[in-house]
Amino acid sequence: MRWRVIGVVAALLLCGWYTVANFVSAETRKATPFLPDDVMRLGLDLQGGIHWVLGPDLDVAIEHELDVMRGGIREELEEKKVEPARIAVDGQQLVIEAAKPEDLEAIRAAASETRVLHEVGAEGQALRFELTPQWQAEVRERGIQQVLEVLRRRVDDPIQGVQESVVTRQGSDRVLIQIPGGQLDREQARGLLRQTGFLEFKLVLDRAENEELLRKKHPDGLPPDTEIVFERERGLPGQKPEDRRILAAYLVPKAPDLTGDFLTDARSSLDNRYGWIVNFAFNSEGARRFAKLTGDNVGKQLAILLDGQVYSAPSLQTRIGGGRGFIHGRFSSQDAADLAVILRAGSLPIPVQIEEERTVGPALGAESIRRGVNASIMGMVLVAAFACWYYKLAGVYATIALLANLIMLIGIMSMARATLTMPGIAGLVLTLGMAIDANVIIYERIREELAVGKSPRAAIRTGFNKALWTILDAQITTLLVALVLYQYGTGPIKGFAVSLSIGILTSVFTSIVIPRLLFELYPGNRPVQALSI
Amino acid sequence: MPTQIIPPDTKIDFLGKARLAVTVSVLIILAGLASALIQGVRWGIDFAGGTEMQVRFEQKVEDTGAVRDAVESVGVAEPTVVRVTEGGREAFTINFASKAEEEEKQGQIADRIQAALAEQVGPVEVERVEFVGPKVGAELRRDGTQAMLISGVLILLYVGLRFNLQFAPGGVVALIHDVLVTASIWQLLGQTFDLQVLAALLAIIGYSINDTIVIFDRIREMISTHTTHDIVEVTNRAVNLTLSRTILTSLLTMLSVIALLAFAGPVVFPFTATMGIGIIVGCYSTVYIASPVMLLMERWRSQRDPKAGKAKPGGGKRAKAARAN
Repeated sequence: MRWRVIGVVAALLLCGWYTVANFVSAETRKATPFLPDDVMRLGLDLQGGIHWVLGPDLDVAIEHELDVMRGGIREELEEKKVEPARIAVDGQQLVIEAAKPEDLEAIRAAASETRVLHEVGAEGQALRFELTPQWQAEVRERGIQQVLEVLRRRVDDPIQGVQESVVTRQGSDRVLIQIPGGQLDREQARGLLRQTGFLEFKLVLDRAENEELLRKKHPDGLPPDTEIVFERERGLPGQKPEDRRILAAYLVPKAPDLTGDFLTDARSSLDNRYGWIVNFAFNSEGARRFAKLTGDNVGKQLAILLDGQVYSAPSLQTRIGGGRGFIHGRFSSQDAADLAVILRAGSLPIPVQIEEERTVGPALGAESIRRGVNASIMGMVLVAAFACWYYKLAGVYATIALLANLIMLIGIMSMARATLTMPGIAGLVLTLGMAIDANVIIYERIREELAVGKSPRAAIRTGFNKALWTILDAQITTLLVALVLYQYGTGPIKGFAVSLSIGILTSVFTSIVIPRLLFELYPGNRPVQALSI
Repeated sequence: MPTQIIPPDTKIDFLGKARLAVTVSVLIILAGLASALIQGVRWGIDFAGGTEMQVRFEQKVEDTGAVRDAVESVGVAEPTVVRVTEGGREAFTINFASKAEEEEKQGQIADRIQAALAEQVGPVEVERVEFVGPKVGAELRRDGTQAMLISGVLILLYVGLRFNLQFAPGGVVALIHDVLVTASIWQLLGQTFDLQVLAALLAIIGYSINDTIVIFDRIREMISTHTTHDIVEVTNRAVNLTLSRTILTSLLTMLSVIALLAFAGPVVFPFTATMGIGIIVGCYSTVYIASPVMLLMERWRSQRDPKAGKAKPGGGKRAKAARAN
């Protein structure tokens, strides 16, 4: 008995210690060595912030993969001296049209050598190929991993990153980003998604001061499969590229001659001629292609584009072997460092859509907290007042149990660093109402036992014993539902499931153990005529 | 004398009124269904996809129409603009279905609305933006249905294992009843179904079975200890004995809901209101629905297999041992 009292009091003190920490500011917590650092985290609906579910367009990843295959097969066929009439990516398929019927077998052989293409149809001399299902899955998986990695590095960037941000995978093909309030506004945050960091190299076909002059050079319209890209002045942060002054316009092919997919590294450094530059290095495949591209086009200009903007367009003096190069573009040291991070983080060549957004302003969040706290206090007071009026002393015991429940619930949620959301607060308040159910079951049972003439002590014992399994059965089924809710719920709803589940566990403990202990303390073994129940 | 709501010797013939209760419930569900078919269901943006914004203006805005015009000026068709006032604070919620082209703009529509409102109405603060794309909406619908089904199966299994298989259908029918009646009432009130309502319906499942189990537990206990086993009488007696607990618990939970309704504000209104309806429905079904269904199962079983009919439902260890042999 004494040990039970000590145990319960110790558990309550422990939880209370954690509970109190929630009501103290983070600075005070750090400054006070005897307060725990772990507290409940506030959901984005309470502290304000941005919750995004992003859907990368993984079909594009497959198209990219087919694009790469296309290059490989073309080279493969060149070696065999086969010149196909057409080799193109058509949606999720690769179409290779043979110029002569006798080439068909060579094309099939080249495709099967890739081991990941399988033929899905033939029309005349055109063969259609698709990636094998395993490889499609692989490409998609790689795509989502890349998106996740790139976004994580951008959001979590050690220098300009967002504190306590979350970038995780959700399901098989989604990315969840959570940015707590006040650090980035929606517009800034979208900048993280908009910059794909897609590096391209394109041979310059023509060049002029601006678009108008460039177009005048081609009175019959631009050559097919070409486009105009611009080199612009460095803008201010947040300034849209379209608003910056144009320095030069270039006519380039639509399809890149080489992309940043083969990059292995990028670093900023200071160059005595160009100022801050970004050095990059290719892997062996990239180095081979880069050497061929530069070797075949000595004397021409090569435009280096990032997200469709020309950063620099050096003239090729000689074949560049070794797979190294650099970009210059009147960078500040910060620009160069940022660019290096984005290049190093890898490109985000897959367009990313916002599929779900929940943004709450910090003011509304603070308001919600205030309302939540008021509702909790009010719920507590109403339930306790009713219990004390209806069950007298036993009701007081139940109220003590209820308070203990609240302390334990908040304490455990703090230890677990669980997230409190507005529906979570609703779950908490509701738990108060439902927690007292256990005491109602017990007390009604005790009243029944008293009504059939049992002594108070016997009635208490029977009441608690008989009610135990009823309470457990009832709470376990509710817990099952709460767990399902946790599994399927998103964001705030998950928060409801968390406080409901923990609330069920703590309420079973407090509503059974504490009133029983109190009954043993008083009236205990004293002879009493009537229980105050 | 202790304070009491229900006198201890109540002997209400609940089972006798079961037919009437079932009729009432069926009528409500049918009315809800009819309303859903005729008027359609108002899906919130969580399920249907779309955008919802809450904005607050620095000065008082008299004309909701001006807000609507500003929203429409950026190319949004048929927005719903509602003025919400609480505690002297005034805000507007703007609600509209998403169009494919708007999604491509990566949520920029909210920024454009904000700009239009600032220009045409006055200084504005965007308090909340929620956008759900159609793909996510479809998934949330699917997940919601799955969550309901899985909860039902888990409860069926637990009740089946802990009690006796013939108890399980009663509990599950009662919880399906609670979900259907609550959803029907919500539909008849012309309210919107969103994730919060779904969460409340799931919570009601938990609450409803909680209630039912208390009675089942009592029936089981009485069958194993009492000599008379007229199942109808025992059930009626069990419902009466647990009646004060049923009502008290519902009352206390309702007090929590009232606190939430009064203080928590519109953010969780759909959840609390649905929960409130569910608690009342749950209280009613515990008394009038769960046990009659259990009895129905019992009758059906004893007709099919007269020998088994003599075995007491959930008749404690003795019955279990007998079955095992």
